[in-house]
Amino acid sequence: MAKRNNSQQGDVPILETVGLSRFVRDGGNIKIILDDFSFLFGKGRIYTIIGPSGAGKSSLLRLLNRLDEPTGGDILFGGKNTKEFAPCQLRRLIGCLFQTPYLFPKTVRDNFLYADSKLPSGTVERLAEQVQIPSSMIDRDVETLSIGEKQRVALARLLVTNPEVVLLDEPTSALDPSYTESIENLVKAIVRQMSLTVIMVTHHPEQALRIGGETILMVAGRLVESGPCERVIKDPQTEEGHLYKAKRLK
Amino acid sequence: MTSPTITQVLLSLVLVAISIAVARWWRIPVAKDMALGSVRTFIQLIAVGYALELIFDLESLWLIALAILIMITVGAHAASSRIKQSKGAFPVTFAAMIIGSLFTLVAMLLLDIIPLEARYVIPLAGMIISNSMNASALAIDRLFSDIQSNRPAIETALSLGKSWRVASGKFQRDAATTGMISILNFMKTVGIVALPGAMTGMILAGAEPLEAVLLQVIVAYMLLSSVTITSVVAVELTVRKFFTPFHQLR
Repeated sequence: MAKRNNSQQGDVPILETVGLSRFVRDGGNIKIILDDFSFLFGKGRIYTIIGPSGAGKSSLLRLLNRLDEPTGGDILFGGKNTKEFAPCQLRRLIGCLFQTPYLFPKTVRDNFLYADSKLPSGTVERLAEQVQIPSSMIDRDVETLSIGEKQRVALARLLVTNPEVVLLDEPTSALDPSYTESIENLVKAIVRQMSLTVIMVTHHPEQALRIGGETILMVAGRLVESGPCERVIKDPQTEEGHLYKAKRLK
Repeated sequence: MTSPTITQVLLSLVLVAISIAVARWWRIPVAKDMALGSVRTFIQLIAVGYALELIFDLESLWLIALAILIMITVGAHAASSRIKQSKGAFPVTFAAMIIGSLFTLVAMLLLDIIPLEARYVIPLAGMIISNSMNASALAIDRLFSDIQSNRPAIETALSLGKSWRVASGKFQRDAATTGMISILNFMKTVGIVALPGAMTGMILAGAEPLEAVLLQVIVAYMLLSSVTITSVVAVELTVRKFFTPFHQLR
């Protein structure tokens, strides 16, 4: 098993992966999706995961959200193995936002109520304000929203379940630059205001630099480097890190 | 109309000849199918006529049960082979059809709507089973295509902490509705657009129209029951295949 990669000293651990791996059958071959991934995520911190396509970044998020089962290893949430949680309960504690937001039909409010039908009165408005959704948008049909607005609504809907960890899978990949910046600022604000742990996958090292926090570099299903984002991206310590920086990893 | 003679049957072949001629004239490549289909219709129906005569004469409960079992088995096989996206759907179509058909037949017997005589049970079972066959095939086919094309919606719901049943609820209901749609449409237009088969048959055999209508009403209610139960059971047994015990989409 690979040694555990720790977050910064003094962090309160919230989520930990221990030797996490996932293999799938691809025809007659075994394909390695994730290989012996061990890491400790601290509470209230922000992490970006970078790496070339097929590095296993999104697959890691799916395992953390228990949308897929690992082949080996464990995930601990608050020190407790996630297998001890009911999957539905776990997913409310560890929320996930996908690359392309899916909103359920009808209005923004209906989407919030889908996540929790017993929301106390005024919560929809408060959450909307928190993610800078104008009140005029709350009762609009989601079909009339732009992709950027949809992503914002999807992020707000995720917060309805009061998660402690938020997984973001390339949330800005479909957005234009102005929306990208606003979502990045929103993510930073959420971490600051709500003490959430955010783990965000991105294809762009420059986005990881804008987000700040810690960065994990993944290559071919393995964690190859982690640490403060400036250091991992600008001054990598491994051969794969240098190749990634030089854009020579496909 | 008195009982048709073999001469009248042979004369009706003129209609087959006209159909084949029209198909050839329009170069629709079904002339061979029409000819073979007409021969098969003749042979199959004559054979079933003799079989029914034998069953009616013997009036054996075991023979009735065997006939129904054969009809359900053949129907379930035909239904499963029509489901393009699923191999091995036979156990599901068989279970759904046997539950839907037998429940309806037994209810009709217990309510004393029909007597336990081959002359009543076998023809009604045939109508029930053929409608259940269509219902199960349509419902399962719709469920497959809906779940496969709505993975983002289902995974979004799962990631918000919903159970697989809630996450796929809309698609289960849509699939069951698809199974029932033909009987629902039939009930909307019955007697207005077309005179249905059972009623027409009775009138042609010399029964009073009102007497025939009463039987047709019973047949419509009977089909509604069998199709509804078959559709719901087919969906219920199929939807579980899409999910793991951990509320993950396979």
